[in-house]
Amino acid sequence: MTQTLDAGERFSRLDSSETISAPTSATRTSVKFGTFAITFSIAFALLYTVFERLNWPLFTYQPAVGKVYFWLHRPLSGEGPPMYWFGWIALTIPSAIAVGWIATIIPAQWLRRATFFCCVLAGLWPASLEALRIYITDYATFDADFLNSVWVAAIPALVVTAALTYLVPSKSAERVWTSWLLIMPIGGLVVLGYSLLQPWFLR
Amino acid sequence: MDIVLTVMREDTFWRILLFCHFVTAVALLAAITLQAVAVLMPARQVVGNFIDRSPMPAASYATLIAILYVVQALLGAWIYVKYRTYVRIPMEQLRHFWTVGSFEFKEHIVTMGFGLLPAYWYFWRQPRSAEHIVIRKWVTIFLLISVWYAFIVGHVANDFRGVGS
Repeated sequence: MTQTLDAGERFSRLDSSETISAPTSATRTSVKFGTFAITFSIAFALLYTVFERLNWPLFTYQPAVGKVYFWLHRPLSGEGPPMYWFGWIALTIPSAIAVGWIATIIPAQWLRRATFFCCVLAGLWPASLEALRIYITDYATFDADFLNSVWVAAIPALVVTAALTYLVPSKSAERVWTSWLLIMPIGGLVVLGYSLLQPWFLR
Repeated sequence: MDIVLTVMREDTFWRILLFCHFVTAVALLAAITLQAVAVLMPARQVVGNFIDRSPMPAASYATLIAILYVVQALLGAWIYVKYRTYVRIPMEQLRHFWTVGSFEFKEHIVTMGFGLLPAYWYFWRQPRSAEHIVIRKWVTIFLLISVWYAFIVGHVANDFRGVGS
């Protein structure tokens, strides 16, 4: 059946050779939707991980008293446990939609490079912060506490990411683009799963 | 909600909702498993032009799976409110930390799967593009893993305090 489909797809492509030279509005819409869908999914995984780690919920729900507070709310006494998960998702969805929409209006080549930049930065920034913390505790011979900052860690992460983005060939950026669809959720789950080790699994 | 609670007791309502969550989970599991099997074990060309057909057309399930996933996530999000106050607190008090942690991870894996749905649906829509064969397969497998993980962990949580526990 796969071979039948493949053959069908090949015929479909042959049939659409004229369509490629003169794209119809339906083809353009389909391509735009594809760009939106893929970018949305990549951005969703990245942003959800970031919002969860920074604890940036759009709202906080207090189920015991049925109250909703805007942004992060630390529970008052008698309010019971807070729920942030809804708030993280509520912030992630519009943010990812906005990113997906922007992706449909910028040139494809820029999009591939921007995706590469954001995804690599998402990996290098926390790695840089962790490396700085290891340096401070294990190697520094002076009071290096000022280095323990997300903004200080951002500097080497941004420099290295910018260099990599500049150096990566366009073809590679294009080839790897859809792969971010899996790399980002799996990477996000590794980060989020690691954050659960101490509070629950190694307790 | 108040109207419903005039007809039935509150715990009965939550048990019915949990049962609906279970039924939807089974339907979603069946659909995504069948699709993943079709993707992982494609039909062979036996001889000449004859093709040994797959038991079901994998693409026809994509929209159903996407809808079921969203419905299931919404049902789960609704029940999660009850879980947070009625189930998780005693779980922590009884030191079932692995169960709580696994459920926390379930939130994340389901959310990641939810975020992949637009791309998943796009890859499976007609006509399917040959250039997306690999990513289509892996996105489907990711969803398969997320659904199975959520089902097993949800079942464990239900056994702690839910229908029939």
